Amino acid sequence: MGDEDEKGYRWETEYEKTWEVIEEDDDGTIQSSVDDIIHKAKRRRLMEKLGNIRLGMMRHLFLVIDLSDAMKDQDLKPTRLASTLKLLEHFVEEYFDQNPISQLGIITTRNKRAEKVAELGGNPRRHITTLQSLVNKTCQGEPSLQNSLDLANQTLRHMPSHASREVLVVLGSLTSCDPGDISETIQLLKDNNVRCSIIGLAAEVRVCKRICQETNGKYFVILDEGHYKDLLISHVTPPPATSTTESSLIKMGFPHHSLSGDKNKGEKASMCMCHLDSKVNQGFSSSGYFCPQCKSKYCELPIECKSCGLTLVSAPHLARSYHHLFPLETFMETPVSSIPTDSAVCCFSCQIAVEDPNVYQCGRCQQLYCLDCDLFIHETLHSCPGCACSRETQESSQQFVGLT
Amino acid sequence: MTESSVSSQLIIIVDTNPVWWGQADTGESGQNQMSLAQCLECLMVFSNSHLMMSHRNKLAVIAAHTDKSIFLYPKKDQGGTSAINISEEADQGDGKYELFGLVNNQIKNQARELVINGGSSLLYPDTVLAGALAMALCYIHRSEKEVGPGEQLSSRVLIIKGSEDNPEQYMNLMNAVFTAQKQNIVVDACVLDNDSGLLQQACDITGGIYLKIPQVSGLLQYLLWIFLPDPTERHKLTLPPKAQVDYRAACFCHRNLIDIGYQSSIPSFVA
Repeated sequence: MGDEDEKGYRWETEYEKTWEVIEEDDDGTIQSSVDDIIHKAKRRRLMEKLGNIRLGMMRHLFLVIDLSDAMKDQDLKPTRLASTLKLLEHFVEEYFDQNPISQLGIITTRNKRAEKVAELGGNPRRHITTLQSLVNKTCQGEPSLQNSLDLANQTLRHMPSHASREVLVVLGSLTSCDPGDISETIQLLKDNNVRCSIIGLAAEVRVCKRICQETNGKYFVILDEGHYKDLLISHVTPPPATSTTESSLIKMGFPHHSLSGDKNKGEKASMCMCHLDSKVNQGFSSSGYFCPQCKSKYCELPIECKSCGLTLVSAPHLARSYHHLFPLETFMETPVSSIPTDSAVCCFSCQIAVEDPNVYQCGRCQQLYCLDCDLFIHETLHSCPGCACSRETQESSQQFVGLT
Repeated sequence: MTESSVSSQLIIIVDTNPVWWGQADTGESGQNQMSLAQCLECLMVFSNSHLMMSHRNKLAVIAAHTDKSIFLYPKKDQGGTSAINISEEADQGDGKYELFGLVNNQIKNQARELVINGGSSLLYPDTVLAGALAMALCYIHRSEKEVGPGEQLSSRVLIIKGSEDNPEQYMNLMNAVFTAQKQNIVVDACVLDNDSGLLQQACDITGGIYLKIPQVSGLLQYLLWIFLPDPTERHKLTLPPKAQVDYRAACFCHRNLIDIGYQSSIPSFVA
């Protein structure tokens, strides 16, 4: 945070001559340098990743959504609110995809009040329906930063200390109406180890910057919708664990899934624990996941058992987060001309003849990939097809046998 | 009709493990009276039928060998744009649709090459499936980018496998399976001999069909009946019931299957 302060504001720095980066090549076109810039932008995200840091895998995050007058503004199309909710839906999906054993809650703030619309939970579908229902709410009044942070803090401070506690605020308004001294709230957040990040939709606000600085969060103001999306996505990857987070072993259950139709075993249909209180008929069947400790039934995972408190997950849920622990090394950029072949260079995985000036080579299996595959492999697939094809190069995964 | 602009792409991953096919051919494991050649014949009929369903349908075949994976079709050097060379390569004269001739010839040639040249010094009874699946996903990723505006490409993967699972591939395979789930790609598995826990999970996660066929000699019939229809039409058919999937984790220290485990909170290990 220190150097960011010294850097000051953009308008205080020297005039940037952005056009000097672009140079004409031998043919007198600027196409090649434009290509180069596009190229670098594509790979930038890969380069930014840091290796070898402790990540907090179990996250507890509260999303605070501003529902004040300011969200009616139409600088984001169609309105700030509609655009925000659309992006947040995507965020929720990605969040649970990357952090399968984490939890999320939603708080809205308007009319100087804060309201918890969704409790902490691990079900992406429920959160998405909550977000969709917010579209019809009217935005009014002023938001209250202090009230929403207090509300989030009330729940988060009871969370176990091995998990991360986070708040992400999306703030459209430039003002906040608080009942007391916000410095006290900041101190409280700091004491409880809650990390607070804010995304501003309008302009930089001093108090927001302070909150984020004090609590180790990040504060950003969006430039446009694309930037907004990038900022949200940057909150999807788990943050580095703080030193105060203790590492401990967590007891987990791996329930069996039994299907309906086991009539010969004499199983009877029963109500699942998650729909016990609801009035609908959903959840009444003989299939479901049974808690290995107390045998109560649930219709989906991951969930915390309501009767014995055991965290229930399935093995694939854990496997999903492995790639954070063993990130794939970045491939080496090699110019095509340096590769000695008589025919065209082909991408190993998608078979396309590479036309770009560069190909990407995996350091382990020496296979070549095109740019598209390189990005796809690092961003989505997380394992190198070439390495996975050969016995010698897949050694590293040997010790991580999950289920056979 | 919007329906006409949807084309379906099928990626077939066929297991060509020499150890398993050698055993199957000599009849050591009892009822497996089928050779790799016969299996490839079935595969060719099946892929021709897939291409016949609609002229927009696309196909790729990948062979998963004991220590590598290669594309049987389309061949590398022409990179998918197979339409150009069709008339040159296809065997003409019998009035067969040129594309079928091309597909069959390429599969045959590439498979022959693989069998002749692919014999590394060490042979293993299990197959490196994750690599083949990862390649298939990259291929699908590329071909979905290439479709023109207004067109849609729905892709799926069919794995035909006989040999054993390779437990060391769990991580890679799971990464691939989650990617498939994210990209809405259905993974089906047609298992010839050994029940595969990994593939059961893969099919369950992506919503595909897992089938261990009871009679290997009827492979073609199973392929045509169960795996030819698109996933969108499957709910209209009476398909074999889903098998129970074992999702328990194995611990890192003893590899025992466990019901209740302890997980470290910072990196996820199950102990």
